[in-house]
This record gives sequence, C-alpha cells and structure tokens, in this order.
Amino acid sequence: MKILYDWLKEFVAVPFAPGELRERLSLAGIAVEGVSETPAGPSLDLDLTINRPDCLGHYGVAREVAALGRSELPPLSVGLRESSDSAASVTDVEIASPDLCGRFTARVLRGVEVQPSPDWLRKRLEALGQASINNVVDATNYVMLELGHAMHAFDLDRLAERRIVVRRARAGEKIRTLDGVERTLSPEICVIADAARAVGIGGIMGGAETEIGFSTHNVLLESAWFDPVSIRRSSKALGLRTEASTRFERGADPEMAELASRRCAALICELAGGEALAGVVDVYPARREPLPLDLSRKELLRVMGASVPDAEIEAILGALGFAPRRADKTSGSPDSPLATWRCRQPSWRQDVTREVDLIEEVARHYGLEKFPPRLHPAKQPAARLPHAEAEDRLRERLIGLGYHEIVSIPLVNEAEDALFRPAGVTPARVANPLAEDASLLRSTGLVSMAHALAWNLNRGQHNLRLFEIGRAYRLQSGAPDEIRIATIGATGMASEQGVAESAREYGFADLKGDLDQIGNLAGGFDWNAETLAWQHPARAGRILLANAGLRRMEDGKGGQWFVTVGNTVVGSAGELAPRVADKFKLRQGVFLAEWALDPFYEGYGLARDDRKYQPISRFPAVERDFSLILSEGTSFASVRETIAALGIPEIFSIEAVDLFRGTNIPPGKFSLLVRITFQSQEATLTEAQLTDFSSRIISALERKLGATLRSV
Amino acid sequence: MTTDPTTQTLDQRGVTDDSQVEALFQEVRQQFDKQTINLPDDEIGWRMKRDAWLGRKAGVVTRITENWLKTAAPRLRPTVGRCLNDLRSHVEERLEQLHAAVVAAAGSAALARERVDLSLPGVTRPIGSRHLVQQTFEEIERIFLSLGFTVVEGPEIETPYYNFEALNIPEHHPARDTMDTFYLDVPPGSQPHLLRTHTSPMQVHTMEKQRPPVRIIVPGKVYRRDNPDATHSYMFHQVEGLAVDTDITFCEFKGTVEYFVREFLGSAAKTRLRPSYFPFTEPSVEVDASCFACMGRGCRLCKFSGWIELFGAGMVDPAVYGFVHYDATRVSGYAFGLGVDRLSQLKYGIDNLQLFFENDVRFLRQFP
Repeated sequence: MKILYDWLKEFVAVPFAPGELRERLSLAGIAVEGVSETPAGPSLDLDLTINRPDCLGHYGVAREVAALGRSELPPLSVGLRESSDSAASVTDVEIASPDLCGRFTARVLRGVEVQPSPDWLRKRLEALGQASINNVVDATNYVMLELGHAMHAFDLDRLAERRIVVRRARAGEKIRTLDGVERTLSPEICVIADAARAVGIGGIMGGAETEIGFSTHNVLLESAWFDPVSIRRSSKALGLRTEASTRFERGADPEMAELASRRCAALICELAGGEALAGVVDVYPARREPLPLDLSRKELLRVMGASVPDAEIEAILGALGFAPRRADKTSGSPDSPLATWRCRQPSWRQDVTREVDLIEEVARHYGLEKFPPRLHPAKQPAARLPHAEAEDRLRERLIGLGYHEIVSIPLVNEAEDALFRPAGVTPARVANPLAEDASLLRSTGLVSMAHALAWNLNRGQHNLRLFEIGRAYRLQSGAPDEIRIATIGATGMASEQGVAESAREYGFADLKGDLDQIGNLAGGFDWNAETLAWQHPARAGRILLANAGLRRMEDGKGGQWFVTVGNTVVGSAGELAPRVADKFKLRQGVFLAEWALDPFYEGYGLARDDRKYQPISRFPAVERDFSLILSEGTSFASVRETIAALGIPEIFSIEAVDLFRGTNIPPGKFSLLVRITFQSQEATLTEAQLTDFSSRIISALERKLGATLRSV
Repeated sequence: MTTDPTTQTLDQRGVTDDSQVEALFQEVRQQFDKQTINLPDDEIGWRMKRDAWLGRKAGVVTRITENWLKTAAPRLRPTVGRCLNDLRSHVEERLEQLHAAVVAAAGSAALARERVDLSLPGVTRPIGSRHLVQQTFEEIERIFLSLGFTVVEGPEIETPYYNFEALNIPEHHPARDTMDTFYLDVPPGSQPHLLRTHTSPMQVHTMEKQRPPVRIIVPGKVYRRDNPDATHSYMFHQVEGLAVDTDITFCEFKGTVEYFVREFLGSAAKTRLRPSYFPFTEPSVEVDASCFACMGRGCRLCKFSGWIELFGAGMVDPAVYGFVHYDATRVSGYAFGLGVDRLSQLKYGIDNLQLFFENDVRFLRQFP
C-alpha cells in the first residue's frame, strides 16, 4: 500500500518530514519500505502486516500518525446535500445470506454526468498505481484509498426492478465480471443480484453488465461489509484477488460502510453533478455492540517485564480509539500496580480482541526500545541432539577423507528417483508440485548426489568427492516416513599428477577404503555381493553393520548385555551402472554409496562404549609372508577366516598385500600374497614356534581351500 | 732447477752447523706452506698432498728422516730431531685443517644439490568442507547451547494441525498466503500431510510432551511453494527457538535476541525490534540488525534505512498455549524463527540463494 504524504496531512498534522515519518511509523509497527517522489508528492511504501486492514487507507494511517504524537484523530465530517426524494422510495435491499454479508448500504445518485476525472484526482490515483476510468468509478476508488473501504457503483437503470438481493450464487450460475472474464460460480460465493441475475461478486468484483459507462445517469452506490472467511474462500476459489477482496478478507470496518458511502456520494456529486437522494438503504444484520476489553498493569508487567506510565497507556489507547477508562479502586493513585482500564474495541480494529492485544498496542507506540534487555538463567542443563556426537565424528571423518558436504533440495524428478529406488518402496509424491523436476520427495539421497556430480562435471570440475547427511522419504502403509541417511559420491582422480606424485584414478578400492574408515566409527562395515539395479554388476555391493544386529538386553537388576542377531544390511555402495550413468550423461566412472544413519549412530555409541585399552606387547612382532595359489572365486575373507579358525592367539594381524594373475599362474587360479604378523604378550617367539604356526596355517589352507604355496 | 734437498744427506748439502740446519728446515717448511695455500679440489687432491708429505715410503717427512736425521753428525742430530718434529706437527696440523675444509666443501656441494625448492607445492591430501548452511547451523547451536537451549528435531512432513491450526492459523487465515504450501499425495482416506512451511510445529510437539520450563531450538529444512530466485527457494532452513516459563517477559526475550545478534554478527552489531505480526506470537516483532555493509549509514543492502531485517519473533500468543493445555494466565514465553540461509547470505555476502543448493565445488571449497 502506498500512502501520499500530502494526502495524510488533510487528516492530521504531520510533525515529521517523510524520511523521519518512515522511521517513526516502522518502529510503531507500520513498516515503511521506502519513500519515493511521485507527481502527487512524496509517497510512503507501506509493507503492512495482514492484521492491519485499517491502514489500507490514508485515514487509518493518519490515526497512527496522530498516535505517534499522542493526539486523537479529528473525526471526519462529511457534508452531503440530499434531495427531498428518498433513496428508499427508488430501491430496495434484501440480504438473503446474512452469514456472508453483514451489512449492505445503498445510496442513489440521480442525474450524474459521467466524464473523465479532473487532473488532481487522476494524479493522485495514478501516483498510487490506480488507473483512472471515469469520475464516478474514480470516486469510489479514491474514497477506498482514502478511508480504506471498498465500494461499488452500479448503473441503477440496468438493475432489474432497481433492487438488490444479496444471496449465495446458484450452482453453475455465471457472471461476466468487470475484467471481461465470464466466471462460473458456486453456492459458497456471495453474489449481489438484482431481481433477475447476479450483477456482482460480493466484496470481490462487480459485473460488466451493470458497469458505469458514459451513458449512465443514475447510480446505485454499494458500500457493504462481507464476512472475511467467505471472501477469502471465494477469492481463492475464483483465483481472483482485488483491492476489494484484500480489504474484506482481512476484516474491514462495518461501521465505515455508511460514512464511506456518504463521502463517496458527496465526491460524485462534486465531480459528476446530479443529486443524492435522501437517506441510505441500510440493511445491517451484523450490527453489534463494541466489544469491551480490559487491561491491567499486572498483566502488562507479566508480559512485558517493565511498566508503562498511566499517562502513556491512556494517551496511546485513546489516540488509537480504544477509549480507556480507569476502572480500579485505586484510580486516584498514579501508576498503581493494581491499575486496570476498561476499553472498547473500535470497529476498525477487529484484530484486537484480548488483553494481550491491548498490551501490544501500548508497547508498540510506547517504544519497544524502552524495555530493558535481560538474560534469564537456565533452570535445566542444555542437551544437543542424541546423535550429535556421532554425526560430528562422521562429518569430521568424511571431511578428512576429502569429501565436501552438499545440501540438496529433496524434491526431485520422479523418473530419476525411480532409477535408484529400492524395490517395494512407495515414494512420497507432492500433490501440488511447482515443477515436474520437483514432484516427489526423494526415496534415496543417491538421486540428489548424481545430480550434484553431474552439475559439477558439466562445469569442468572433474575430480569430485561429495557427501550429504540428509533424509530419504517414503510412504509406509499410507503414512509418511523419514529416514536419516548419509550419501557419498566420488569421481575423477584419486590423486593428481604433481612434482612428487603420479596420477591415479579413483576406483572401487578407494570407495571401499573410505567406507571402511567410516565404518570403523561404528564397529566396522561388512560387505556382501548383492547388487541393486543402480549398481554396476561387478564393482558394487551392500554394506552391513554388525552392531545393527546387536540387541541390548536388560537383566532387570541394572545389568545389561548384548546379543548379536547377525549382520544387518544398512546400505549399498559401488560404481554407478553404465545404464544409469547414461541417463545423467555422466561420461566418467562414478562411485556412490549410501547408508542408513540410525543404525550407524547406534553402532557408533556401542563401539565407543565397548572400547578398552589393549596392552601393547613388549616382545617383538614377526612378519611371515605366504604366497598362495588359490582357485578363482576364493575370497580373502575365506582365507582370513580359515587362518583365524586355528585359534592361534599369537596371530596379531592377517593382511592381503599383493594379488596377481597371469604368467606362471595356472589358468583358473590366482596368486594372493598374505602377510601374517605374529606377536606374543608373554615372550619372544622362537623359530620353532613360528615354524609350527606356519605349517599349521599352510595345511589348514590346503585342506579347507585347496590352496598351494607358490614356489618363489 | 735445484735438486730436491731431501734426496741428499746433510753432508752432501754441505750443512755443518745448527743454523744451517734450521735454515734448511725453514726452506722446506716454506715449500710446504706454498703448496698448501689453496684448498685441494676434493678428497683425492688432499690425499695426494698428504702422501707427498707424510707418505710412509716416499713422503717428504720420511725422506728427511732417512736422509737427514739418520745420517746426521751426532752434534747436529738434536737440532735435526727437534726441527723434524716441529715440521711434522706443522704439516700434520695443516693437513688436518685442509681435510676438514675439503670434507665441509664436499658436504655443502652435496646439500646444494639436495636442497628442496620451498616454493614447490607439497603433496596435499585433499580435505573436504562443511556446507555453509551446516556451519551456520553449528554457529547458531553453539550460541543457544550456551544460553541453556536444548536442541530437538522434528519431521519435515507434518499434518496441517501442527503446521497451522495449533499455531493459531486456522484454515482461512490470510497468513496462509505468505506460506504457500506443498501437500503430500496420500492415499484416499489417510490423514492429509504437508511439507512443513516452518520449524514452528515443533513448538507444539514439544509443549505437548513437556511441561514448562521449556527452552529449545529446532534446526531443520522447511518448504514453501515459491518460485526459485535469488532470495527464494522451495526448500530452505530454519532454526526455531522457544522458551516458556512462569517468569519470562518481553525483557528476557529482548536480552536473548540481542545476545544472539552480537554473538552471531559481532559485538559491534546493534539490534532493533520492530513491531510486526505473526499469528502465533503477540506481541510480534521483526528483529533488525544495524547494517554491517554500511555500519548504519545507509546503503543499497539496507535500502538506505541503516537496518537489515534478520528474522521474526515475539512473545508466544496465548492462543497457542490453549492447544497444548498450558495455563496461559501463568506461563509466558517467546519464540523466534531464524532463517539460516538468509543469515548465511547476509554474513558472507552471498547474493544468490540458489548457490547453496547447486553444490558447485567452486562454491563449497570457499568455506572450508
């Protein structure tokens, strides 16, 4: 809403220059975005909050300006010369739907001459962004901008039987509105009708057939009040927002209807000649007594924490129209803590209905800067999220491994999401998406990660390591479900060519190494070779977490223990299948992984709690290398397990240090170099012991896996 | 060319008295000094010199011993012996010096070859980064933890009741216009769901579960059906705050907000509260900070007002207490909703909100 500075001055003395007025009004809650110059003088650009429809006109803003100086706004007096014939003798108003329309006033103007508006009027309207149409229509708009009340003028002679019926629209009833659009109505919409048909949509827009034109001589001026909820519902249903609907849906002033009508009639007579018939046809089913409101200093103190002097309370509430009267028994003693005031709600402030609303009125004009800031001590210890520590460690580790954190918008393209969606998952779709590319809440973070990688690759960034800690969404038997997940994506070089280093591409082993480092936080990831549709069939697998299968058992006496119920799949990892990579136009190998965070965080806690110091042996460790020839398909895990099953306590570690196929290796076989480190806590190992261990290991591998030792 | 005196005996040289002996030794010594003025090129050069003078078989010192000392007349022998000893120590001392110098020279030549170029880059293991939004979340969390606020989280998919009704925003409230909402497509007959338009629903969830005192912050994602541009995105981040107790007033609210602004923007930042309107707070305010681009003098960023709007807040509207069965006549409190992306944009001078969600590594790397 724009307000002309000079127009304000017609209602109230403005003791501030426009720049200062901007500041003063803003600090009293009437936000002024800026001041600009117009041909009609300086204008203030108000950014009004929705609870203040009373400031959608100059008169209402003038009241706020008056309150800044603690003075009351002089009342409006409108002189209107009326003819001896009465309006009631010419027209008649019936409200058939008083729940939608609480007041309808009709005034009749006879013998007007519709013409273009004079310059002064056009200038003001145009400065406020309102196109000038003709003197009668402009008068209604002018008074709307002045007093904040939207009105409508009908060509009286085009109203069937020259009467008004306010009623619900009939189902399927049609009307062509002033903007030339034919609209189909429904019974929730309030129409202004004549004896035959709808001639306007109440509180929203008039009809084209009864529009004021240059041939109009007699005018019926409508000034009404409509139910805010009904206006809002209708305006939404019709997709039609107007100056009128904005004012009525926020709660217009029913008392203003008659005054605005009188003011408008006077202006029409001034601009277009003619005469106003005597009186107004006023049907007012919503009339009610002003709401009484009480304010006590005790409550003001309880909410605001510091007092406001009596004089300020009374001056502010008085200026704003609340007519405060001291109502306590101590009314003689100034600033008494027991002071109370009886006020009444002005008809233009339907937003103020409670004591706390009055407190806000006092506080905003008294000045929020006058309330002293205080810190209040906490009575309870503060806590972070239960998983905050685990998430910190995870994030730290990912960053240490070179991954950059991303944050993506979880609304994605449905077809892309389907590429990664695990079987049996029902996705959570948006009923009213803004775009097809954002029509679904992602069922995994992989789709967002693929996008982030593609975005960067398309911009010449080829070496990428990204992670996201976020959520995946789905419907679980009709109800939404949100799952905490971590997603990582990597592509390009693992190390780049430099003076001290040679180049190497990021491969599956890099991904697995990174994930194993991460898994260590939660007791270690395990792997199996199942692959999902998005994964490369040879270079991918699923991630398992042993701790995810641990169940905490309580014995009822304060003790607890854990029962392993097996490894649980918590995620998947691997190279992106070429078929999927093509869809994202990814032209280099891309590696992705995702795992569920709830079991991971639980595993983190268990692993941390289980951690105990392992004594460091004082005796030397000895390494022995075993160069094994194994049949293709034999896993390192089976080698390790076979060795571990011997139960030799002196085995400190079992590592794979080299792997090769080809020359000197029979077909169907491969060679694996296994390094075993032996160490005892009790003594230095003797050559005889080592020889014994070695022969036991070799014979177990031969027996269980058909391994042979490769002659070096 | 004179004959090398050391190849002859003293007699052959016609030396008959002590002074002649001394003169002869002096001559040899001068000869040695002359030959060792310059540092030998390397270890081999030094060895040749050493062998020439101290070689067991053919060194000068050996020759003098053989030719001069052993054949000397008994009366000359003490002098020859003394002079020879002097000469030997002189030669040994000097050669030792030379050797040390040769070794040092060789060492520094080798070092010069090995010397690293400190301006060459080292081998760097790439290190990742926290997303800027995450950094701001952590910063906000740190400040409010120090004030005793506990962190809680909630679902992004909410029911209309928690997102609107229980926050005093009934179905046809105009405030809903400012929060255009995404609804979930749920099977017919199931409860309607929406993507929360603010983190405020957790106010209600928390108060339903907990009696006062309550002091929480709620970080999280929120969604609005706004077309994306430099300041809008259909997903962004908020941190909700709520404190409710029997003794919290506007003054405590103001103290907390001012503390936060100073901690977040620096001690020079000034705060101003401007009355505003939200359905779930009363009184409501917008919290402004003095413009840090122009220090309050007025610039484009602050629209020449000297102030920047940071976030909305206020005293909890008593109507909200009604929904969670708190006694509105006994408890009071405040709530605020920090826009994390907006605060990050302001603090780091990021003119386009979309940068946060494009995840371009050239952006991410700037905030390690």
